[in-house]
Amino acid sequence: MITMGVDIGSLFSKAVILDDEKLVASNIVATTGNTADEIDVMVEEALGEAGMDRGEVECLVATGSGADLVKNSEFEEDEVTCVGMAAGTLVPGVKLTIDIGGQSITSMMLDEDGDVVDFMRNDKCASGSGRFLEVMSGAMGVEVEQVDETVTLSEKPVLLSSQCGVFAESEIITHVNEGEKMPDIIAGICDSVANIVVAQARRFGMADKYTITGGVARIRSVVRVIEEKLDGTYQKFPHDSRLAAAIGAALLGQFEEE
Amino acid sequence: MLFGGIDVGSLTAQAVLVEDGTIYAYKSIPVRPNPLESAGAAFGNLLEEKGLKQEDIKYVISTGYGREKIQDAKVAQENVSEISCHGMGAFSLVKDVRTIIDIGGQDAKVIKVDDRGELVDFVMNDKCAAGTGRFLEVMAKTLGVTLDELGPISQGSRNPPEMSTRCSIYAETEVIHYLQRGVSREDLAASINRSMAERVMALVRRVGVEREVMMTGGVAKNIAVRTELEKSLNVRMVNARIDPQIIGAYGAAVLAQRERGA
Repeated sequence: MITMGVDIGSLFSKAVILDDEKLVASNIVATTGNTADEIDVMVEEALGEAGMDRGEVECLVATGSGADLVKNSEFEEDEVTCVGMAAGTLVPGVKLTIDIGGQSITSMMLDEDGDVVDFMRNDKCASGSGRFLEVMSGAMGVEVEQVDETVTLSEKPVLLSSQCGVFAESEIITHVNEGEKMPDIIAGICDSVANIVVAQARRFGMADKYTITGGVARIRSVVRVIEEKLDGTYQKFPHDSRLAAAIGAALLGQFEEE
Repeated sequence: MLFGGIDVGSLTAQAVLVEDGTIYAYKSIPVRPNPLESAGAAFGNLLEEKGLKQEDIKYVISTGYGREKIQDAKVAQENVSEISCHGMGAFSLVKDVRTIIDIGGQDAKVIKVDDRGELVDFVMNDKCAAGTGRFLEVMAKTLGVTLDELGPISQGSRNPPEMSTRCSIYAETEVIHYLQRGVSREDLAASINRSMAERVMALVRRVGVEREVMMTGGVAKNIAVRTELEKSLNVRMVNARIDPQIIGAYGAAVLAQRERGA
């Protein structure tokens, strides 16, 4: 059965097409002002990649902060439910999912069916979010995509004491002025993001097996530090971690029709 | 007989000389790369301007960033926390002051003093930029106005939009979003100042308010934040009648006189 999941996030929008639980096509575009047109193009491109037309999609489910902008959706579902469903279905035995998105960090506890039984979310403060990483690395002139490569050159990560993004930005400028090397500062930023995520996960509660979703899960330098510090075994999300909510939405579409 | 106080902040450094408890002279300069240089320059410039030598000043107390190092370098003979200095400075200016709201470039404090100007209680936020001068600085830059303009232009606001976030980083995105939709800078300045005052009020509520109330630090110069706070507190704040940024250094100088004054 063919279903589609569309996730309109704060920084990126994503569309996926599933054939049962198999991912057949996906598309990720930056969320800008002109969201309604953008969604149409994104959906058409995903269909093009799958070699399908709209009529073949049996159920379209929308999620994310802009879910209401998606036309022709069967229903809307919140991101927490969708991410939980994707992790619970695609990562065997996982109980805890930590989603690090553009403007939020969410820890979720799942039951055997992948249903979210409890969650903790910070979307009030940029500390540790994708936006935080973007602002900090941007201040160093490093794109988020280049972070991992840069960190391989680090010898001794600097220690950042500020959790506030604005104060941390001043702090890294001080490090630059004091002659710290760029890779060491970028590594320090990754440590800082990881520590903030670990602190939330510990407050929330731990599980034997956990996975990490959202854009920041793609940054190896952050995930490595989280792995070192958190108890339990890290299980990698099997697809691009940014797609978790969209995949979860498409999975919910499958169950809905059965 | 002259006594000195030096206060190094995140953006400016101040030196004040007092004689018989009143201000004889003061100097405010933008900070240098490190606190010791800032202190030396502010104090040195002030002495030079007044044709004084270091030995003409009986006792000097340092406060603010690097206050220990400033004492170690013998620019000052003693150091005292900026909380006690702001408390004493505000109290010495107006003897009825019991609550001091001090908002600097990187932190915000609410300080309570007794009828002798001694510290009774305080709360501080230096973890989050929201509710500090730094928030206003980031927002002014986003709006394309100077920090000094942020207060005055908001007086022309008619319909300030609601800010959904208090985080400085998210607020920056929100302000850009509003600008793109054609919301005026006057209205946005008013929203920013209101958001600022709300954060400060959250801090004030933790210790409570006792009259009279004085505002110190750089943000006290922002008329809109001041007015919003007065509305929320339902209290008219007393006027310092001097540059609110020098009150910490003034308090340090008053303490120096108390310590060694005959």
